[in-house]
Amino acid sequence: MNSLSFRACVALSFPSAVFAQGAAFQTPGMPTMGGNLGQATRFSNEFNPAFGIAIDSIADYLDEDGGVDGWNATIRSGELVANAWVDPKAWAYIVLTSEGEAPDLEEAAVHYVGLGSNTTIRAGRFFVDFGKQMQAHIHDLRTLERPAVLRTYLGEEVKGDGVELDHWWASGDETAIRASFGVFRSLFPEEEDAAVAREVAERTSLGDFNFTARVTGFTDVGESGVFQLGASARMIPDFEAVDTGGGGSVAGLDDTVLGLDATYGWSDDTGTRKATFGGEFLVATGDRVDSTLAAFDETTSGFYVFGDYAWTKNDSAGVQFSTCELPEAGTPDLAEVELYYTHWFSEYHRLRFAATQTDVDAGSDATRFAVQYTVFLGSHQHGLNW
Amino acid sequence: MKTLVLSLLVGLFAFATDAQAADKLKVVATIPDLADIVREVGGERVDVTALTKGRENLHLVTARPSHLVALSKADVFVQVGLSLEVAFVPGLMETARNPRIQPGAPGFVNVSEGWEALDKPANVSRQAGDVHPQGNPHMNLDPRAGRFMAERVRDGLIRVDAGSKELYAKRFADYEKRLDEAEARWSEQRKAWSGKKVVVYHQEYGYLCRACGIDIVGSIEAKPGIPPTPNHLAELIAKMKETGCTTVLTAPWSNDDTVARVAEAVGGKAVELPNQCGGIAGTDTWIAMMDLVHRRLGEALSPAKGP
Repeated sequence: MNSLSFRACVALSFPSAVFAQGAAFQTPGMPTMGGNLGQATRFSNEFNPAFGIAIDSIADYLDEDGGVDGWNATIRSGELVANAWVDPKAWAYIVLTSEGEAPDLEEAAVHYVGLGSNTTIRAGRFFVDFGKQMQAHIHDLRTLERPAVLRTYLGEEVKGDGVELDHWWASGDETAIRASFGVFRSLFPEEEDAAVAREVAERTSLGDFNFTARVTGFTDVGESGVFQLGASARMIPDFEAVDTGGGGSVAGLDDTVLGLDATYGWSDDTGTRKATFGGEFLVATGDRVDSTLAAFDETTSGFYVFGDYAWTKNDSAGVQFSTCELPEAGTPDLAEVELYYTHWFSEYHRLRFAATQTDVDAGSDATRFAVQYTVFLGSHQHGLNW
Repeated sequence: MKTLVLSLLVGLFAFATDAQAADKLKVVATIPDLADIVREVGGERVDVTALTKGRENLHLVTARPSHLVALSKADVFVQVGLSLEVAFVPGLMETARNPRIQPGAPGFVNVSEGWEALDKPANVSRQAGDVHPQGNPHMNLDPRAGRFMAERVRDGLIRVDAGSKELYAKRFADYEKRLDEAEARWSEQRKAWSGKKVVVYHQEYGYLCRACGIDIVGSIEAKPGIPPTPNHLAELIAKMKETGCTTVLTAPWSNDDTVARVAEAVGGKAVELPNQCGGIAGTDTWIAMMDLVHRRLGEALSPAKGP
């Protein structure tokens, strides 16, 4: 074997692995880490994801009937986001958040777009596709808090581990229609402090998985307007309620939430002044469990409406009203109204003043004044779907 | 029988019309300037849609469902580039997912490809305001850019529709002649403006002023994309008085009370110029827009009125 052939054999035996990600020196039998498929080395950053950080802080004054009144200031959450294409047909992202000491894996998913046409498969952990607001993280909302009806029926932030199929198509020249269907292991929000926790079995039949479905149409209205109409569903066909204190439980329960949303947006001919009006009506039906683990079937409903006006690219103000029947015995009503003004200093930081009044039948009413300051370091995109 | 024959003829006519329409290249251009140039070069072979109408702040355009549908069906997509359309194009392109027009595909035309951009930041940081990493993106307002943009449009159309190469080349040559005539006209007009001083609202007219030899003394925005503060305006007015600048150039989207107050403070006038075709009456074509720009600049900067 001449020296050239020998060098060729060595090169073939140890392809670019020694220069690529993985072990510093890779020999046959060591775990392969994809290093011989690309150019990334241990110390290269050419293929690193786009990182972004969001810090959401709030200083507020709360006056609550029968509660603790006074001032508070807190960093509500810190978020780390990374996005990157992982192949020509797939991109992935991760969202880590922390509201205290420990970070929480809020989202981690991959979007596969290689099926052709306008179909996407998303798999991993991600926020549910329900209405116009549930995909958004709380610091990205137009308001300080998510509408009360969504918090009550679905949860403050609802994520699931699962897979979702999404497709959109054109209808005429001015309308786009999108539909999605998702299958998840559990779609209950985290209920750490609940006296009765709702849990979906860790292992179950496929038929008892949780589901989401959404169909929405989005169309031009004249030269300056757009209108979107959507219908959403979140179904939990089987869950167990567990008394976190006493240890008892009741199984074989179900919970379904249906929603109908409408949004109208207007923009002046320069794109500077914008007005948005919208709302969503929800019906929650299924089994409720009281503190004694007594289960009862109940259907409740509620809605939110909002109006938002931006008079410059940096300034906007609005109002949001939400009301719902609480899913508990007697179905008392909850009503909440929030007024806000938001100023964007730049795309990277925002100041908001908000006033919220909450009324609960036979419960404690509350008034809150808040100043919210949110700063975004680097790119901040969550790839929300419309 | 007559009715049947008539129906068949109507049906055949409708089919022929549809087939003819389907045969045309569907081109989506981000702004009316590019749509006009595509029409000039493509003629009857193209069916063009512009995403904006002409009065928008191009950094604030909101995507509409019709934009998404148009992009999903397009054979060719034409943009200015240099991040001018970053507010709406990347999201639309990602969602429309049309492989014919994705960057790198034959149907993707970036008319600023190879353009020597002004104001390219050494460091990309928001400390400098809403700067564009590749430099000032408003190259469509350079009177010398018409040919540059048209060449890239021609090349893009030929890439996608090589069978009509001769048609595109001939129409481009015709358009180039009209551009030559217009450029000669504009060059003559702007000879008298060298060294004149203006203030702009936003850095849209950097290329225009460079071509005309006009000095930009300052901008009403504190930094690109950053609204003015009272201190900044006071400093700007002082500088205008010091330099004898009395002209404020503004686009339709930025022609507000602040512009009027600054002009009034120096005893001058605000001059509204288009930032894209269609934003002001009589600017339906790129050449007509540049004619209007030169006419308005001439009125504002004529020796009798200017500093």
